Amino acid sequence: MVFSSLLFMFIYLPVVLAVYYLVPSKWRNVWLFIVNLVFYGWGEPVYIVLMLFSITLNYAAGLLIARFRDDGRRAKRVLTACVVINLALLVFFKYYDFIAENLSFIPFMKPLGLTLPIGISFYTFQTMSYPIDVYRGDADVQKNYVSFGTFVALFPQLIAGPIVRYKDVASQLAFRANDREQFASGVRRFIVGLGKKVLLANNIGMLWDTYKAMPAGSLTVAGAWLGIIAFTLQIYFDFSGYSDMAIGLGRMLGFEFLENFNYPYISKSITEFWRRWHISLSTWFRDYVYIPLGGNRKGLARQLLNILIVWALTGFWHGASWNFLLWGLYYAIWLTIEKLFLLKLLDRSRIISHIYALVVVIVGWALFAIEDSGECLRYVGAMFGVGSAGLIGPDVLYYLRSYGPSLAVMIVACTPLGALVMKKLPKKAAAVAIPVLILAVLAISTAYLVDGTYNPFLYFRF
Amino acid sequence: MKKGAPLAQILVFVVFIAAFAVLNLVTPARTFSEQENRYLAAAPKFSFAKLFDGSFTESFEKYVTDQFFGRDLWVAGKARAERAAGKTENNNVFFCADDTLVERFSEPDSAQLTANVDAVNALAANTDADVYLALIPGAAAIWSDRLPANADCADQLAVISEVYSRTDATTIDVAGALEAAADEYIFYRTDHHWTSLGACYASDRILSAITGVGGKAPKSFAPKTVTTEFYGTAWSSSGATWIPPDSIDIYVPQGDAVVKNYPHGTEEDGTLYDMSRLETKDKYSMFCGGNTPRLHVDTGSEGPHLLVLRDSYFDSELPFLLGSFSEIDVLDLRYFRTSVADFIRENGVDAVLVIYSVSNFSTDTSVFLAGR
Repeated sequence: MVFSSLLFMFIYLPVVLAVYYLVPSKWRNVWLFIVNLVFYGWGEPVYIVLMLFSITLNYAAGLLIARFRDDGRRAKRVLTACVVINLALLVFFKYYDFIAENLSFIPFMKPLGLTLPIGISFYTFQTMSYPIDVYRGDADVQKNYVSFGTFVALFPQLIAGPIVRYKDVASQLAFRANDREQFASGVRRFIVGLGKKVLLANNIGMLWDTYKAMPAGSLTVAGAWLGIIAFTLQIYFDFSGYSDMAIGLGRMLGFEFLENFNYPYISKSITEFWRRWHISLSTWFRDYVYIPLGGNRKGLARQLLNILIVWALTGFWHGASWNFLLWGLYYAIWLTIEKLFLLKLLDRSRIISHIYALVVVIVGWALFAIEDSGECLRYVGAMFGVGSAGLIGPDVLYYLRSYGPSLAVMIVACTPLGALVMKKLPKKAAAVAIPVLILAVLAISTAYLVDGTYNPFLYFRF
Repeated sequence: MKKGAPLAQILVFVVFIAAFAVLNLVTPARTFSEQENRYLAAAPKFSFAKLFDGSFTESFEKYVTDQFFGRDLWVAGKARAERAAGKTENNNVFFCADDTLVERFSEPDSAQLTANVDAVNALAANTDADVYLALIPGAAAIWSDRLPANADCADQLAVISEVYSRTDATTIDVAGALEAAADEYIFYRTDHHWTSLGACYASDRILSAITGVGGKAPKSFAPKTVTTEFYGTAWSSSGATWIPPDSIDIYVPQGDAVVKNYPHGTEEDGTLYDMSRLETKDKYSMFCGGNTPRLHVDTGSEGPHLLVLRDSYFDSELPFLLGSFSEIDVLDLRYFRTSVADFIRENGVDAVLVIYSVSNFSTDTSVFLAGR
């Protein structure tokens, strides 16, 4: 199930909220546990078993690690086993076919064609953080199975993040206040996300699909840029919209999740971009891979190697395909260059550093969005005039006219301007404007979902 | 913030989702959407097998979307929102000048197109009857000046010349006739079909190619308007409810022509004009009573026996051909699935007309049957 669907908004959510607020507090986690499984199992009911296995495994590992706290070696053995099993599940379901295809000379390696369990990359990272945090003493052991299960399968962030670490929500699992302002801020945040996903991302996504489908050789330079800029906007509004909806839904249920995006496209360097893009993933890799590997504490050479490892993994995390690995390494290279000398140069001009960061990110999205390496190369080539059908064609004029107003709105929406204006609004004006905006976005989004011919889910590879 | 402010925000949201949740629950399901001209999804039957193969949840989501309370208004609202956002198209229909809606024509799949040309060539080789091919361009080509500037739409005339250069059949330049009359009401503004007037202009080229004697000019007919309330398929799929309806004209009275229809294989009485269809949404199906595998017309005139392999554009062309043939058989290969060559032999057909819109000829997967 996805949030931006009529089923979720007009059946699942009203039922979940109604029962949640009608039952006594002590039953709320049980209710959430049940509806989380319904949410998760909606598309692939069989995988509920996998989810329950994952919950039980990490729950048991947490108990054991806590019991062996005084015996470091045994605790470590339990932790290692648990992490290995978690990763093995992820590798099997997500990467087995990819490995099998690339090692097809081994006779018994045959692709199985299993459907990827939705959100497995998100929730595996999420659950794994728990035994690690318990081992490190960063979190207390969770003795309540239902509370732990509620954390692992919590539907708001289950399928597309943010990746919530156990220690960040541990206390909220035991106690959540009924706070009207928190619920209202949840509503506002959900509406912002809904609008981003349904009205902006889906809209501009159709433009990207048009250019992606254009036969090789018919792309012009301007067309190739327009197409990939459309994808740049689509993935940001889609992904950050999804995170906004998750954070908003979390608040409606009394949870506070950490932020996942912070206006990434206003960055002045790639280093800054990755502090603003998918923050929960970069934080996860920093805390559980980069720093344990030694981070920047073991000399420059080791630090650069660590960057390479982390970004190769980050790329691969996004999907079992070479282009995602390439995309990760692409960023490793830029981050290394910045670390070595570029960052200092970038400080000299704000304008040039903004342009530089945007161009690097946009070209990066071409690597990300086009899976076939030949096609990807042709597309990036066309962006820089290699094998393109001229500079500009009538298609660009048509689509610029048709999407012009939407593009303008989206570019502004990539900046903090909107939030700034809302903050500056006099209280009385805000008291009227906000409910009106909520109604408007809800109604227009509903119209787009009812006539929903185009509503893709981009993270089925994650 | 004032204490009342968050409450207003919460209420707007909660009331909105709760209200539609309840409305969806209590309103009965509709089976057919007049506005969209299609059957709506019904509630799927539950079974564990369907749950586990994912088809239950998929159908259920379709059901929720199709049966959403006030669906028609939402669909129309979305089209208006798209227009307000500066879009010049919605659901692959262009908003054009002069209250015209034109469906996008996409670059055809060359394999399908080649297969269909090959099928026509095979038919020409299989039979002694003369085979004619007529491809009908749509409004996207003939009314291209009404499209939004630089509209991203493939070239139908180029497809026609490519097909004509590769076929062994005698080709008929329908496009030329339509282009010459491009400033007249030759296509419906809300539908992909041509009007009776467009069909009349085309009949001149068709008849002179097959019989050597051209058709009559439009002004020699006394057309009769049978409806002014025709909302076509482009209107339905675009959601552009602000566009006024079309009217449908009849040029040729049925006269002495006797029409037999074979909707289920056996002979029934047919008609050139099924007036009862004007009470439905799909008013174009008034011509010949809509899709059917086979029609047989005893025209009451003198002339050769014509076989037509066609799509629905021909339904409004048929009346203009009555005076020039003794018998006309009309087959729709999507439903009539036996050998065309056998049919020609058994029925003593003299000439075969293959007539399709460019759009259908480049996508239809049943044209291959012409070669069987």
